[in-house]
Amino acid sequence: MAKDKVKERVNWPITILLIIGLITIIFPLYMAVVIAFKDPSEMTNDIAGILSLPSSWSLDNFIEAIQVTDFFNSFLNSLIITVVAVVASILIHSLAAYAIGRNMDHSKVYKASYYFIIAGMYVPFAILMMPLVKQTAVMHLDNMVGVMILYIVFYMPMNMMLYTGYLRNIPIALEEAARMDGASTWSTYWKVIFPLMKPMHATVAVITGLAVWNDVMTPLVIMGGQGVNTLPLAQMNFQTAFSTNYNLAFASYLLAMLPMIIFYIVAQKQIIGGVTNGAVK
Amino acid sequence: MASTAAIGSNRRKTFMAILIPVLVLFCAFNTIPLITGFLYSFTDSKGYGAFNIVGIQNYIDMFSDTRILNSYLFTFKVAIVATLGTNVISLMLAIGLTSKIKFKSALRGVYFVPRILGGLVVGYVFSYFFTYIVPAITGTESILANPDWAWVAIVIVVVWQACAQTTIIYITGLSSVPEDVYEAGSLDGATGWDKFRYITFPLIMPSVTTNMVLVMKDMLMVFDQIVSMTSGGPAQSTESISYLIYNNGLSGGQFGYQCANAVIFFILIAVVSILQTKFLNSKEEQL
Amino acid sequence: MLNKPISRRALLGGAAAGAAGLLFSGCTTERADGKIEVEIVSYKQEAVSIFEHLMEEFNAAHDDIYLNIQSPADAVTVMKTRFVRENYPDVIGIGGDGDYASFTDSQILADVSDCPTLDDVQDAYIDILDSVTYVPMEGIYGVPYVANAAGMLYNKDMFEEHGWMIPETWDELIALFKQIQSETPDIYPIYLGYLDTWTILSPWNSITANMVPSNLNYKVNLGEAKFADYYREPAERMLELLDYAEPGPFAYAYNDACTAFARGQSAMYPCGSFAVPQILSVNPDMNIGMFAMPSAERAEDRVVVSGVDLQWCVAETCEHKDAVYEVIKFLSQAENIQTYIDDQRAIPCLKGDFELDPLFDDIQSFLDEGRVLDYLDHSYPSSMGCDAQVQTMLLNKDIDAFLEKWDTDWQRYNRNVIRKVQDSKGQQ
Repeated sequence: MAKDKVKERVNWPITILLIIGLITIIFPLYMAVVIAFKDPSEMTNDIAGILSLPSSWSLDNFIEAIQVTDFFNSFLNSLIITVVAVVASILIHSLAAYAIGRNMDHSKVYKASYYFIIAGMYVPFAILMMPLVKQTAVMHLDNMVGVMILYIVFYMPMNMMLYTGYLRNIPIALEEAARMDGASTWSTYWKVIFPLMKPMHATVAVITGLAVWNDVMTPLVIMGGQGVNTLPLAQMNFQTAFSTNYNLAFASYLLAMLPMIIFYIVAQKQIIGGVTNGAVK
Repeated sequence: MASTAAIGSNRRKTFMAILIPVLVLFCAFNTIPLITGFLYSFTDSKGYGAFNIVGIQNYIDMFSDTRILNSYLFTFKVAIVATLGTNVISLMLAIGLTSKIKFKSALRGVYFVPRILGGLVVGYVFSYFFTYIVPAITGTESILANPDWAWVAIVIVVVWQACAQTTIIYITGLSSVPEDVYEAGSLDGATGWDKFRYITFPLIMPSVTTNMVLVMKDMLMVFDQIVSMTSGGPAQSTESISYLIYNNGLSGGQFGYQCANAVIFFILIAVVSILQTKFLNSKEEQL
Repeated sequence: MLNKPISRRALLGGAAAGAAGLLFSGCTTERADGKIEVEIVSYKQEAVSIFEHLMEEFNAAHDDIYLNIQSPADAVTVMKTRFVRENYPDVIGIGGDGDYASFTDSQILADVSDCPTLDDVQDAYIDILDSVTYVPMEGIYGVPYVANAAGMLYNKDMFEEHGWMIPETWDELIALFKQIQSETPDIYPIYLGYLDTWTILSPWNSITANMVPSNLNYKVNLGEAKFADYYREPAERMLELLDYAEPGPFAYAYNDACTAFARGQSAMYPCGSFAVPQILSVNPDMNIGMFAMPSAERAEDRVVVSGVDLQWCVAETCEHKDAVYEVIKFLSQAENIQTYIDDQRAIPCLKGDFELDPLFDDIQSFLDEGRVLDYLDHSYPSSMGCDAQVQTMLLNKDIDAFLEKWDTDWQRYNRNVIRKVQDSKGQQ
């Protein structure tokens, strides 16, 4: 492919439209930030109370939020759970999708397995919750390990769907070439297919990672009340039955958001990388 | 080099060796609890403690329960409107974000922020927005207080948040479209809408299917935003099925009954999504 | 039909057959150091620092018992999941509310009639606790600790400044509302946060408790009465309140209402003592008072709505009740209760000479004379969405439809309770 020809001009109209569209994102975000910096006594019931800048940009709310949530411990737990769940999802789900995706067109067993797993996406969590509480306790999985395993299962249907969809765009001829060279199916997968799915890995990592990072119900019912907190669990401390400190809560939400933004920026490069990868065919 | 038959059989074995453990894992933590929940639907259990077996009473009751009926109507209304809205907006965003623009990384980053925030936070922020800012601008009452219009507020918030993830999947889909296809297209003189309609769209049809199904599923299960914005009100007009199952099932002590509701809901959305997939797949083949 | 409760394990056993049944020992056992551990899970997360302090004090003074009090976030969910695991804490600290009723109904709690501390508990609160359970129970299933109260919160300084008097009848209340509207157009008489449906039950409880027989629910369950004959007037009064609140109260949440009241946007706020910490977080210097909702026919018949806010319930599985009672006795010592009520602005359920928060000055005589009734909604089935039904009525102003739906839904959501009530009545 000739590189020089593709040097198109920047599409300014679209750039400008997209920048204008940013208002819909920035505005709510601005609200979250000013609320996070305010003292509860600065909140009033009118438009000014919501939009005005805080009287001082003091970090008190953030410092208190860090203390109340035992931030660094909770953060570490959340991080461990998220990293394990994401890495395991990428490895296991892509592999499962490969096995199923490459066979579902000609094998009833695989096709049935596909729909069986996909259907799991529609099971409301509320019905699984109490049975899972019991089951994980019996299996001694009422801890972080149990939570990680559950995430790997919960996000399997969605990721399976994403990966099988993506696999359709990867020509089977690529594998056959490797196979002709004598490579086993196993090594063909890891050497040829897995790297080719990089943009989808990044997408899966982002989607699964965020869902796990923000999830509160699973850790609450599986490991709640044992003194080991994830960030969202610890953030529940801002809300008691009859009082909620939104200012502290927002400060801690913003703190919890930062690592995810960094993670997304890193992952995004991979997704963009896919643009050029896609052309290598 | 081994014979083709041997390779074929090895390949089959490898695939089976992958499939079986995955299915076991999945059954253990999804299917078995689901079956347990299904069994509970024949009881009056609260989720804990002693209970009675009530046969199919829960299922009979469900069909005369207007609250459940209303929650289905509300949920499907929101899901359909929000799924279409999200996909149209996201596809436009994705095309914009994959074209030759300035600040590409930064723009993509910011447009993804809504997904990074949890559903509860977004709900809280938008509650302020609808309660204080919109009425101040339009001079009307907050739509969150209006049983006829509160669902629109829910749609706006879920679409706002869902667009980020949907856009990413479209961007991934668009990036798997080989550039030479476009080049070939441009040589044939395809431009603008035609290029999209006849070249891009057919190629990203698998992403469209994926997104339609995924977004529909998320919307049908809408929960967090309901909790943080309306708690099902006003006048029970925004009670989603998930909200009802969770709220009445676990806080309200109707676990058995809501398990019955969940079973019906599960069957219903599984059917809906199979039909949806079949329909979209047939479109894919046509194109 | 099978009516006998079966063990949940029998049902689960079939489904989770693959996972071998490892049972949990019910109550906590002896610790390595030979002490008996008493584990309490309390739902009062806001009181965590007090209990941590009391815990240290107790453990320093006892060498045979180790006390462990936990106050996790969303404690009720945590409790329920522990029940599912059959890993029961020795003691749970909950309110005398729907969860308590449902725990009792699930046969999780033990009869604590033999707890010596009960002798010191005010009879009114034992009666209140008794009225919460679905079916009148034999025995006592919780040791009441502290209570809260609901009525009308008011801005003391504002009342003093304008010379407003505390109303004792409904007419006086409405007259006061009108006076406030004419004297101070920029202050609403009341502020309502009706977006959060549960807040609607606060005025509903205090208005209605003064107007209907206290055993109405029980009579309805026996088939001897209908709500429609009693709830019309309270419903009309709930509608009347809307005329004196901010416009569009269904747009504002509980937090908004607390903020507005704290900032002097309204003179009164029909809510309970439990809202005071939230209000003070916005305006720490505010002088808040509370008066009884004047909705009884005669001023002298007024009652204050008060419910058990925290009580100690012992798990059925607990094997060392003596140690538990020792702990309850310690927690109920006058000075420890005083510490708690000072910090949490609570009302003690125990007899004794306690100094209450000035918040309760106007209702002190009600408390002393036992003119208190429980929150009605504590015996409403939470799945019926009673709060949302009142909200619907306030929105479409259709009292007839509201009453009819209430009676129909009551029969439906209370089917089991009604059957049990009628059975137990039949047996007598």
